[in-house]
Amino acid sequence: MADTDPNKSYVALFGWSLRAIAGVAKFNRKYVVVAPSWAEQYAKENDIPFIAWDFERLNERSWEIAKILQDEGVEVAVPLYEETVEWAGAVNAVLQNKPRLLSQAMLFRDKALMKRRAQLAGIRVGIFEEAHDRVDVVRFLKRVNQTLLKLDGDPNDPIHFKAFDKAGCLGHRVIRTVDDVENISDDEFPALLESHLDGWEFACEVFIHNRKIRFLNISEYVHLGYSVFIPASPKLEAYREQITREIEKLIEAFDIDYGLIHPEYFIANDGVMYFGEVAYRVPGGNAFELMERAYGFNAYQGQVLVMDPKATDEEIEAFFPKEVVDAKGHAGCFLVYPRRRVVSEMQIPEETENDPYFEYHDLAPPLEQKVSKRAAFGNHWGTCYFFGPDADRMKEVLLEQEERDFYT
Amino acid sequence: MTDPSTGAAEDPAVTLERLTGRFDDCLARLADTPAFAKHTAKGGVIDYGRRIMGLPGGPAVLYDRVATMEEAGIFAGTDWDHPEILQAPLAPNTLRTADQSTATLECLSELRLLAVGQGDYFHPAISSEQARHFVSQVLALNLTFLFSAPSEADRVALGRLAKPVRNLYAFIAERTGYDNIIGSLIAEIERILAQRPIMVDDVKAMVTQIAICMADASIDTAAAGRGADRLVSALFGPTAGCREDPGIQVYAERLETMDVHMLTQEANGFARAMHDTGLVSPYHPVFLRYVAYQRPDLVSAALGLSSTGRDGFLCYQQLILRLIEDAVHVETAQSVYGLALMLERGILYVPAIGPALWRQIFLPLHPAVEQSIAATFGAARPARVFLLAGVLTVLGQPMGVGQGNNPTCQSARAISMWAYTDPDYLLQLIAWAARDNTLTMHFEGQPITSSELQQGLMAGPLLDVDAVSIALVPHLDRVYIEMGRHTAGRPGDPHRWINAEFHGWWVGRGCRLAIDVPTGMLEDFDGFVRQFYATYHPYHNGNQPVIHPQPAGIAVTDSAARFIGWHAIAIYRVGLDPSGGMRVYFYNPNNDGGQDWGDGVVVSTDGNGERFGESSLPIAQFASRLYLFHFDERERGWPETVTAEEVQTVEDFARRSWAAAR
Repeated sequence: MADTDPNKSYVALFGWSLRAIAGVAKFNRKYVVVAPSWAEQYAKENDIPFIAWDFERLNERSWEIAKILQDEGVEVAVPLYEETVEWAGAVNAVLQNKPRLLSQAMLFRDKALMKRRAQLAGIRVGIFEEAHDRVDVVRFLKRVNQTLLKLDGDPNDPIHFKAFDKAGCLGHRVIRTVDDVENISDDEFPALLESHLDGWEFACEVFIHNRKIRFLNISEYVHLGYSVFIPASPKLEAYREQITREIEKLIEAFDIDYGLIHPEYFIANDGVMYFGEVAYRVPGGNAFELMERAYGFNAYQGQVLVMDPKATDEEIEAFFPKEVVDAKGHAGCFLVYPRRRVVSEMQIPEETENDPYFEYHDLAPPLEQKVSKRAAFGNHWGTCYFFGPDADRMKEVLLEQEERDFYT
Repeated sequence: MTDPSTGAAEDPAVTLERLTGRFDDCLARLADTPAFAKHTAKGGVIDYGRRIMGLPGGPAVLYDRVATMEEAGIFAGTDWDHPEILQAPLAPNTLRTADQSTATLECLSELRLLAVGQGDYFHPAISSEQARHFVSQVLALNLTFLFSAPSEADRVALGRLAKPVRNLYAFIAERTGYDNIIGSLIAEIERILAQRPIMVDDVKAMVTQIAICMADASIDTAAAGRGADRLVSALFGPTAGCREDPGIQVYAERLETMDVHMLTQEANGFARAMHDTGLVSPYHPVFLRYVAYQRPDLVSAALGLSSTGRDGFLCYQQLILRLIEDAVHVETAQSVYGLALMLERGILYVPAIGPALWRQIFLPLHPAVEQSIAATFGAARPARVFLLAGVLTVLGQPMGVGQGNNPTCQSARAISMWAYTDPDYLLQLIAWAARDNTLTMHFEGQPITSSELQQGLMAGPLLDVDAVSIALVPHLDRVYIEMGRHTAGRPGDPHRWINAEFHGWWVGRGCRLAIDVPTGMLEDFDGFVRQFYATYHPYHNGNQPVIHPQPAGIAVTDSAARFIGWHAIAIYRVGLDPSGGMRVYFYNPNNDGGQDWGDGVVVSTDGNGERFGESSLPIAQFASRLYLFHFDERERGWPETVTAEEVQTVEDFARRSWAAAR
């Protein structure tokens, strides 16, 4: 462990992520990992400070873990996974004596509540509705398409289906027909239904300290669920001012003092920004790794830093680089899914490997030959990383990958 | 190098520079990652490593970084973190069948061992000599990559690794010197063969590689000379009848047409090649089976027997012919050598051996044993055939037993000693284990039954061992550990009691230890050395040769004379070597007895009066690594006749190595 600074907060990481632990272990704050007991052995063998805890649904035991951490001297709980967000909220409410942190966390965990809260604060959102069963989904699909003056037999405009409490792409389905509705399993309800907005979708990673934006990364989706790169292209970065204002609204609406948020937005064809959703945790899709590649700072450390009320302005300014101008290049990644139904081996396509933008991959050889049907977004088999100086070329490179077979 | 389909033709030198820069970045990040998360940061290093290796000049770039790579932790948490346990024969398979990143790690590790062997990099766990052996063997097993065009099979198996691997071996060959490659490979093979191991599959694979190179006109193998010729012909064409390696079927047909004169020549040719190298050509069993049916009078010539062996064959002809019929096949070719040496040992004259071998011939095997044997040797023959063939080799080559890649040195040593001194007991144990899948031994009167015990030292299946070991070791291993449990709480080293109970009455009940067990410090080392000399040294024990092999414990040290661990060996003989020095000849269950124990203590396996399979050291050097030996309480010898200088020499050797801090 790196030397720790006694004037900074003692932090607890909620959830088991080796990358996060590796980052924080090299940081100047005392830390402890709070994670399920299956990780305890590994933690013990590797001298990782550890407290075993099972994060099931939030229950009356949250008080128990809050007390344990309080006695231990922990001052801040940092959530790493969607499932730990409400736990961290509940625990921080106790540790920092701010009861509203619990209800704030509940907002982050319920996509419909989140959306209403944003709407109430005057933030633009698309049409949405809650669904408790398949009948609700079918009704929404039909209503949306009626509104669009479609006739029976016309192809539907799609709607989006997002399980309330799943992270990122997990549980996110695109519904076009009634048949699609049949494929939704019971455990994905309740869910949020949204109309489809044709436009430019992107996400941000916002490091907030003392209600101020300290670092705002814009991640440009080349193809949602497949590819993303940072910093965004100049065309999207042109919206930075507007995006900053939107995020400031979000900070007010959700009353966020400290922490990392990961909101998603649309810019519709008319240039109006729509709020999609927001998460209060490490983003999926390797955004942290890409930030480290592009800017050279460890985003896990950044998250801990902005969650610590004791962090000073000087410390924060020294830690974060200047957005866009300090980036050494564009870092992108492509999530690989097998394109064939039956595969036997993994092979990086030669064109990919010889591309100067290609860095490396973490694809594993196939464990089974039959590829299970992709149910929702998610379940990718591995990631290819890219890096280069030009955003347009990066976009091209990432799109090219979609036509290639990584598994044959 | 560039793929025309991308159109982006990059100069390989530019590519190398770009990839090297990124490789270094990834390496720095890996170095900066805490130990527990190393595996999350290895991907980039490995993938860039593979691509760099595939570029001209790439291996040299990586070679310069082996120390940095190892320090950064690229091998952390893998087998490659322990180069001393790596097995060269596994390398070709790793390259062809493992996934790309595992295979790349293997390549990086080979580069590292090359650096260790060349003296460019010091590794605490492996000496430069061991590393050189390793690299030579790997080269021998992968000669095709070096000399021949890539085969379709390799192309498919290696995929994107084909180019990096060929680059790697070209680089290794360049560094170790092209001219002498085949020469040093042959020296390596001959060094191994001089120990006459039972398991020669790896050696055969290396010789096959050399044969492929020699058959290729485009490769200059002139430098290989007679040594290569001798090995290749011993395996693929030892006689006039099979000189051009015609194939088993054709050769079998040829035999039908040969007259007695030609058959005699064939018999002599086979025998000469076999005894010369210890390798048995697959044609040899074909011939032996043929003459066993048609011309039994040629069997002793085909086995190359002396008058002792011939006499044994004539006395037990029916048994031997039956053994040939049941055990000797192309798949079990080495059993011919075992059979010949068993006859030469004259052990058939021990009354129990003949009947015990008949029992073995008809022994029904337990299904579990059948399964383990088939898992190693395949299903080309029934398991009982492989076991019977294994029995012949073990009885013929007691000191050829090896522990394989398993932590079971005690069991291998026991099998060797029984085969040597107590063969009928060994046959009894094999019968129990193979037929009943259990065996019972006694510890101070209490029965210990293996099938009732938990597993011992071996965790998984046994690797690289003979069929007898496959049947026996799982049981011996458990019994041995259980005997250890019975001694729990007794003061001193448990081997004091276990060794005699486990092996037999012929192990001396007296036991001397160099160290005080609780503290690990040397204790009365002077008395220890004197008693050892008085028991084993003919000048101090009344000129008494060792009667039965005696188990002993040594403190193994590496080539820098640092303590590595305790190891089981057996003392077989003590006597004068050809240059007049007193030497201890001992059996080391490690597969390769030739080891450098540091401080000038280099174990010899050939050229100092060793019999096949024996290791040897001058007695003072041997005593300096010894920490436990057995003796007969009633035969104390003359410890006071050992000079103070001799004792001091031994102690100095010990203190400069494993006993430095004791």
